[in-house]
Amino acid sequence: MAARRPWWRLVPAALWRQPRRLQHERQPGRPDQPIPMENPYKGPPKKCVLCGINVDYKNVQLLSQFVSPHTGCIYGRHITGLCNKKQKEITKAIKRAHVFGFMPVMFKNPSFLTDPKICNIKYPE
Amino acid sequence: LSLFFFFLLKPETAAVLKRTVEALMERGAVVRNLENLGERSLPYKISKHKERHRRGGYFLIDLEGPPSIVSTMMDHLGRDIDIIRRAFVKHPVSKTEECSGMIPVNYEDKLIAKK
Repeated sequence: MAARRPWWRLVPAALWRQPRRLQHERQPGRPDQPIPMENPYKGPPKKCVLCGINVDYKNVQLLSQFVSPHTGCIYGRHITGLCNKKQKEITKAIKRAHVFGFMPVMFKNPSFLTDPKICNIKYPE
Repeated sequence: LSLFFFFLLKPETAAVLKRTVEALMERGAVVRNLENLGERSLPYKISKHKERHRRGGYFLIDLEGPPSIVSTMMDHLGRDIDIIRRAFVKHPVSKTEECSGMIPVNYEDKLIAKK
């Protein structure tokens, strides 16, 4: 008795166990199985409204579209539907515009009230 | 590499501008461009230097200079009565060409505690 251990602890498992194969890996000698590849029918990635547009603190009209007309507060991500980066950029630009005196703080500039609606905000009736 | 923006009042805008630009050049900044963003009514009444202002002319100066100028210039312009508000802004570097579309957020992963 070399050591007080069962034989299957001394001999490496590769010798006596059945080889485990993952289901989705390629198996040798089976050409008719599906070939793993990326989804070829994937559509183009969804883009947010501002995806190609440069956000500036100077164009007050663009910034005012993401601000409430009644209180002047900035709409959240669930209302504007922008991606992470752009939402952050817009918030920073709006804050800057407030400080520099480009955009009114407590309300929306009345000349921009008839702009096309980007945010899907639902007002209570 | 910065932009400088301020707005002021009064009909003698030319003199004020000249003063500021000269002051900037004294501190060793290179003025690239000077833009007038028009004269319009301010979004809110600003009271500065014991006067309440409603209309102002906006000016934007493209600068290049050492960052040590900033504090001295802010001081200097704070003393100028004609300038209502002043600010230094870094030159905006536009990186909009890399915008890849929105990746759908995996809310489940967020709920599981991050380790």
